Amino acid sequence: MTSLRRALLALAALAFLAGVGAAALILTSSHESSRGLAVLLILSAAWGFAGTGLYAWDRRPDNNIGPLMTAVGFAWFFVAMTFSGSEVIYAIGVVGNTLAYAVLIHLLLCFPGGKLEGRLSKWVVALTYFDTTVLQAARFLFTVPNNDGCTGCPENPVLIAGHENVSNALNAIQVALAIVLIAITVVVVFGRWRRSDANRRNALTPVVFTGGFAFLILLVQLAIQPGVSEAVERVAYIAAVAVFACLPFAFLLGLLRSRVGRAEEISSALSAENEQLNAELRAKVEELRASRARIVEAGYAERRRVERNLHDGAQQRLMALTMNLRLARDKLGEDPAATGELLDEAMEELGAATAELRELARGIHPVLLSERGLRAALGGLAERSPVPVELVATPAERLPAPIEMAAYFVVAEALTNVARYAEAEVATVRVERRNGTVEVEIRDDGVGGAEIDAGTGLRGLEDRVAALEGRFSVSSRAGAGTTVEASIPCE
Amino acid sequence: MKDNRGVSTSVLIVDDHPSFRAGARRMLEASGYSVVGEAADGEAALDAVRELGPDLVLLDVQLPGIDGFEVAARLEDAGAATTIVLTSSRDRADFGDALAESPARGFIAKGELSGATLAELTG
Repeated sequence: MTSLRRALLALAALAFLAGVGAAALILTSSHESSRGLAVLLILSAAWGFAGTGLYAWDRRPDNNIGPLMTAVGFAWFFVAMTFSGSEVIYAIGVVGNTLAYAVLIHLLLCFPGGKLEGRLSKWVVALTYFDTTVLQAARFLFTVPNNDGCTGCPENPVLIAGHENVSNALNAIQVALAIVLIAITVVVVFGRWRRSDANRRNALTPVVFTGGFAFLILLVQLAIQPGVSEAVERVAYIAAVAVFACLPFAFLLGLLRSRVGRAEEISSALSAENEQLNAELRAKVEELRASRARIVEAGYAERRRVERNLHDGAQQRLMALTMNLRLARDKLGEDPAATGELLDEAMEELGAATAELRELARGIHPVLLSERGLRAALGGLAERSPVPVELVATPAERLPAPIEMAAYFVVAEALTNVARYAEAEVATVRVERRNGTVEVEIRDDGVGGAEIDAGTGLRGLEDRVAALEGRFSVSSRAGAGTTVEASIPCE
Repeated sequence: MKDNRGVSTSVLIVDDHPSFRAGARRMLEASGYSVVGEAADGEAALDAVRELGPDLVLLDVQLPGIDGFEVAARLEDAGAATTIVLTSSRDRADFGDALAESPARGFIAKGELSGATLAELTG
C-alpha cells in the first residue's frame, strides 16, 4: 500500500469518528430543536464531501480537487461544534462555522483542473476566506450568543463587549460581501461552463447546476435571516440538506467524467518534452551543418595542401632536373667531367623527387593500410615518426575500411602533432576493438596544452570520427602530456 | 650570351626554392649571363634590385609574402631601370590576364627556361 493511500485511509477513519462525535454532539444539544434534521444535513454534507474527496484524491493524486473536497467535508464539522454546550467547543464552532462555504467557492472556481485561473478567481477566493475567517472571528468578539437568536447557547469565552450594533454591522458587511462573492462565483463558473468545449462541459455540468442551486439556497438563507417563520426556515433547511448532500457527488461525477485535468497535464508534459526535443534537434542540425561545412572545407584545404606540396616539392625538383639535363646535353661533347657531375646531381634530384611523391601519395591515401590493414599501417607510421613510438596494442584483424581509415588518420595526425609541438620523449599508441567499439588512444609525455579548437587538424579528426557516430576527445593539461582518444562504433 | 655593348648582362634570380635558384644560376652562367645575386622572397628582391641594380630580374610569380606581380609593379613604380622576366613552374594559362597587365617584359615557364629563350624575350 502506498503512503498516500495509508494517509487517505487514516483521514477516512478520522472523518468517520468526527461524524460519530458530531452526531452525538448534535443529538445531545440543549440549544437545537431540529436535531434529527441537523444531523442529517451535517453528516450527509461532511461525510459526502470527505468520502468523495478522499476517493477523488486517491484517483487523481496530482489534482487539488480531491484535497479541497475533503477539506469541505471536514469544515462541516465546525458547524456541528456550534451545537456543543461547552463554551470553547462552541466558540471554535462559531468561528469556523462558515469556512465550508469558502472552501466550496474555492473548489468551484478551480474545478476541474485544480488550479485557480485568472486574477479575478484568486481575488474572490482570497476575499471569501477573509470573510469567513477574519470577519467571522471579529464579529464573534462582539457577539453575545443568547442575544443573537441562539437561546440556550453557551457564553462567549472571548467576548470583548456585547455590542449588538458592532456585531450587527460586521454581520451586514459579512453578508453583503458574501452575496457579492457568491454572485461573482456563479457568473464566473457559469461563463466558464458556456465557453467550454464538449469535454470540459461534461465535467462542469453536474457541478454548475448542483452548485448553483446550492448557492441559490444559501443566498435565500442569507437574505431571510433573521426571524422569519419557522416553516420557511424548515423548507430552506430541507432544501439545503438535499442539495448539499448531492453536491459532493456532483463534483465527483464531474471530476471522473472529465478527461480535462488529466488531458491538460499530459498535453503540457508532452509539449514541454516536445519543446526540449525540438531544441535538441535544432542543436543537432546546427552541429551537423557546421560539421558538414568543415568537412567540405577540409576537403578543399586538403586539395590546396596537395597542390602546394606538389608545387613546392616534386615539381621544383623536376624543374631543376630539367635544367641540369639541358645543361648536361649542351656540355656533352666539350666537357665530359662537368656532364658527369650534372648527371649525378640530376639523379639525386630525381631520387628526392620520387621520395617526396611517395610521401605525398601516402598522405592522400595510405596504400599499406588498404592492402595490409591497420596493424601494418600503424607500424609504418611508428617507424617514420621522429619521436619514438611504442605500439601498445593494434588489432590483428581487418576492420571496416572507413573505421580503419579514421583510426589511421587519428593516429597519423596525433603523431604529427607530437613531432611538431609536444617536445615529447616517447609516444604510445593503442588501438583496440572491444564491446562493439574501436578505441583509439595516443598518449605522449610532452608539454601538453593542445586544444581541439586551436587548429584545423584536431577539429578535422573530430569531424571524421563524428561522421562515424564516434566520440573524440583531447585531454592536454599544460605540462602533463597529451592524450588523444577516439571511440568509434564497430559492430 | 653577351649584350650589344660586349658586357655580360647582370641577372638577379628571385625564387623561394634553393634548388631552382642553383639550377638557374648554373644555366644562366653557362649561357654567358652574370648572376649578381639571389633573393628568396619579394621584399628581399626589392632590396636586392635597389642595391645591385641588375639589368635583368628573373622573377618567380609565387613567392612567400608579396608575389612576383606585386614585386614587378613596385619596381615599375620605383622607376627601376631593369628588365623583368616572370617565371613559374605553372603554365602561362594559370595566370589569366595578370601576365598581360604586369609591367614585366614577359613570361617564361620554368620548364622552357634557357639562355636562348631568355635572350629571345629580352633581345
